[in-house]
Amino acid sequence: MLLQLKNIFKWVNSGGQRIFLLKDVNLEVSEGEFISIMGPSGSGKSTLLNVIGMLDGFDEGEYHFLDESVHSLKEKHRSNLYKEYIGFVFQSYHLLDDLTVKENLEMPLLYKKYGSSERKAKVADMLDRFNIVGKKDLFPAQLSGGQQQLVGIARALISNPKLILADEPTGNLNSKQGEEIMELFKKLNDEGVTIIQVTHSEKNAAYGSRIINLLDGRMV
Amino acid sequence: MFKNYLKVALRNLWKNRLFSGIGILGLSIAFGVATLLTMDSLHELSYDNFHTNGDRIYQVHITWQTPKGTEVGTSQPTPFAEALAFEVPGVEKITRFLEEEALTIYNEKELGLDAIYVDPDFFEMFSFPILQGTKKNTLVDVSSVVLTKSSATKLFGSESPVGKTVTVLINGKNEPFVVRAVAPDQPENSSIEFDIALPFEKNPEYEETKEHWYAQYHEVYLQLEEQVYAKTFEENSRSFTNLHYEGAVENLKRDGALPNQNGDFLQLGLLPITNKRFVRYNKGYVEISRAKVYVVLGVALLILFIACVNFVNMSIAKSAQRLREIGMRKTLGAEKRQLFFQFWGESLIVFIISLGIGVLLSLFLEDNFQTLFKTGATFDILLTPILIFTTLLLVLLISLIVGGYPALLLSRLTTIQSLKGKLGSSGKNHLRDGLIILQFGIAILLISGTFILNGQIEYMRNKDLGYDKEQVVSFPLNGKKNSYDTVKLLREELKDNQDILAITAADNNLGRGKDGSLSSSVWGFDYKGKSVRTNTLVVDYDYVKTLGLDFKEGRSFDFERENDAYTVIINESMAKELEEHEPLTVQLPAGDSLGYAVIGVVKDYIFQDISKAIEPLTIFLNRESGLTYAYVRVAPSNMADSFLAIQNAYKKIEPNAEFLGSFLDENVDRTFRREKTMAALVTSGSIIAILLSCVGLFAMSMLITNQRIKEIGIRKVIGASVASVTYLLTKDFLKLVLVAFVIATPISWWLANEWLKEYANRVDLSWHFFAVSGVLALLIAVLTISTKTIKSALANPVKSLRTE
Repeated sequence: MLLQLKNIFKWVNSGGQRIFLLKDVNLEVSEGEFISIMGPSGSGKSTLLNVIGMLDGFDEGEYHFLDESVHSLKEKHRSNLYKEYIGFVFQSYHLLDDLTVKENLEMPLLYKKYGSSERKAKVADMLDRFNIVGKKDLFPAQLSGGQQQLVGIARALISNPKLILADEPTGNLNSKQGEEIMELFKKLNDEGVTIIQVTHSEKNAAYGSRIINLLDGRMV
Repeated sequence: MFKNYLKVALRNLWKNRLFSGIGILGLSIAFGVATLLTMDSLHELSYDNFHTNGDRIYQVHITWQTPKGTEVGTSQPTPFAEALAFEVPGVEKITRFLEEEALTIYNEKELGLDAIYVDPDFFEMFSFPILQGTKKNTLVDVSSVVLTKSSATKLFGSESPVGKTVTVLINGKNEPFVVRAVAPDQPENSSIEFDIALPFEKNPEYEETKEHWYAQYHEVYLQLEEQVYAKTFEENSRSFTNLHYEGAVENLKRDGALPNQNGDFLQLGLLPITNKRFVRYNKGYVEISRAKVYVVLGVALLILFIACVNFVNMSIAKSAQRLREIGMRKTLGAEKRQLFFQFWGESLIVFIISLGIGVLLSLFLEDNFQTLFKTGATFDILLTPILIFTTLLLVLLISLIVGGYPALLLSRLTTIQSLKGKLGSSGKNHLRDGLIILQFGIAILLISGTFILNGQIEYMRNKDLGYDKEQVVSFPLNGKKNSYDTVKLLREELKDNQDILAITAADNNLGRGKDGSLSSSVWGFDYKGKSVRTNTLVVDYDYVKTLGLDFKEGRSFDFERENDAYTVIINESMAKELEEHEPLTVQLPAGDSLGYAVIGVVKDYIFQDISKAIEPLTIFLNRESGLTYAYVRVAPSNMADSFLAIQNAYKKIEPNAEFLGSFLDENVDRTFRREKTMAALVTSGSIIAILLSCVGLFAMSMLITNQRIKEIGIRKVIGASVASVTYLLTKDFLKLVLVAFVIATPISWWLANEWLKEYANRVDLSWHFFAVSGVLALLIAVLTISTKTIKSALANPVKSLRTE
């Protein structure tokens, strides 16, 4: 088992009232799964994804990732954990505008203190694998949306994460580009990467092996 | 990693070219200005610090308890120094010191040199190492002189000066001297300046005064033995003064003076030579004030501060644009520490670039700076390892504070917060507002300072001095001829010129002439059982007419009446000092039995520095005492021609002397050179300060308006007019400027009031000064922000709303 959420609650206090963002969420994810989280706007999809990605905390419950109890870990250990095992893909790509494609790919490796030659090898490998060698010296603004998301995924994959978290990865793309990205996810999943994606589209959700429906912070 | 940071930093700077440019420009100017001002301050502070025994060298001053309060003077009588060294223990070396202009002649060459009459110890005490000639006890032989290198070159050219004989005109007589040694020119930071050093025994007053303790006319410097404290020496000198000034003490007691806390009426004091540059004897106390240096340093600091504030505000505001980057870096695994170093590093780059440009700027402006502020400071004074190291450390520190704060702020945000790209919920930023207030407060302070300083200068310039300064030319009688003969020849030479109205002469100048000398002579005597002190002036006929003085009563000196040589004219203050209702009946007692009859009383005129109150003055027509300055009154038309005519006439009479004539209004202007330098400094400081503040405000308005672009769009869609949106955006800034005004005005009023206390004639500190500076600051602020706010108020709301 890769991760396990037990009775997760998350809330905010607003005007003396407690508003629940997540309510008693229980989830087990095994390695090699491809999970799609669905639900209407405001149902807590992104919040759940952020909690799983350890970018956001929660107020009650337990979260186990591999053998670690995330809820009792300190901030620093937590960031080491996600640095090591999790890659993120965003709807609006979030590439660093001031860096070229190559440098964007290199970034996570720098933070993980890889050596120079190893970085070069991995970046070249990734450029090759995604067929974007010719774009390596371009800046994000010079790429189309689909290409940018491609770079975003490549960046998420470069340090061999066990888990990819994707928040509406096709939300800003047209249908053809979206399809290509989903095909790519499918292929990655076949190669053994665990993927959790948030999506609005039934069609995209169908790529996954399991669908989780959320409504008002509760799994249905 | 480092390379990556550098790359991102440089690309970021380039992407925000406008802001980076503004930031770097501001900091560069600030660094440049700070460099120049620090240079000037260090130069000032380094005055007289080059004497090897400097910590043991003092100037002697004496404090008198008079019926009017305490008075301090540095003038001492001729026998004083020798007696002091002999009777009070602790003196290792001592020298008397008298500075005068002396005409020095070698073959055909005549030069007016700055001469000092000193004792042999002079060159042993002060570090003016002899370059050529006799090294020890140079001036023991009273027929020897020491020249400085440049005056030796002027007199002798390439000849070797040592052993040559020069003639010096002393008391109208030619005295031969042998050049025994050549000293180096004094360093720029020496307050003792001379071209030629003569034995003290040769000074014009020496023979008459060598046994008198009442004739005080020269300064005394001494070097204490090691381990002797100035305080102890001052204590030990009490019996010395009580012994030698017995008569004077009796008079003071009789006139009702109160003794000091030791029960003494006189007290010697020692002033360390390193304080000489900063001392003032204004109000009866020795006051050592480095205020000017601190004002200069203060202005430098304020400007640097303003530029730093700009930088902080801009980087905080700008960082909103970089939130996504921070969030992304965090999800990619960046730690707080790494982010902090990245952002601090970026500021450090900006700082280093700015420092470089600033230093280059200051090198480039060095010459202009020296002329504008009349300083001898050079860049070399900054090139010490300690200073360079401190500067670098300081830059590191400032960049850590200035760049570190936004860096800390950013690195602290949680990942989700920064990914959403929004800074904290409320739009309020107290730190930012506080900094803007401070910035404008400083600007307003400097602006009002500028107005008040210039107001005081204008006031002094336009003040009715009691004499006619526009139409009178004065020049030193620096030639070989007897001064009375010279004046006579001048009158004959110019008598056919219609534009020359009157000619006279006196033994003192009005204001400060081109020769730069200022002097005063004081005469004290007993009148009807009371001590009276008066300034004295010896004049030639027509003095009152030439200067356009007004008579209160009585008459002027008359060519026809021979007895007028034994009469005097006094001013109103002198009449008051004498406490006589009918001053024309007064006979002033003189050394001999005859006495001087008062024949006229002139209305008070400002014959000394304009900052001083008008003192009593007695004007003599003493034909035996020499005159040193000629005065010529010219007609208001053809003034330039008249000036030329005077110059030609003087050249004809004294072909070898330099003509240093100038109109009296120029002379008066020269007396407030100090104020003018200060005004120039504060004016340029405030211009730079306001400029930098505006640059900062402009950038801030741009960034804040950009942040509110959505709000503006919504307001416009709902129906807000352009004017109301502009008002909304401008209002917040103006509030800050108003608060700054309220805070700065009392401070500025207090400072100005303190400063003006030094002036007997001072401008009214009216509210106009402050109101105008406040309005000016406000106006500049409005102009600065309105360009940006109006533009965004005019923008199409659809565009701004689409940015979401």
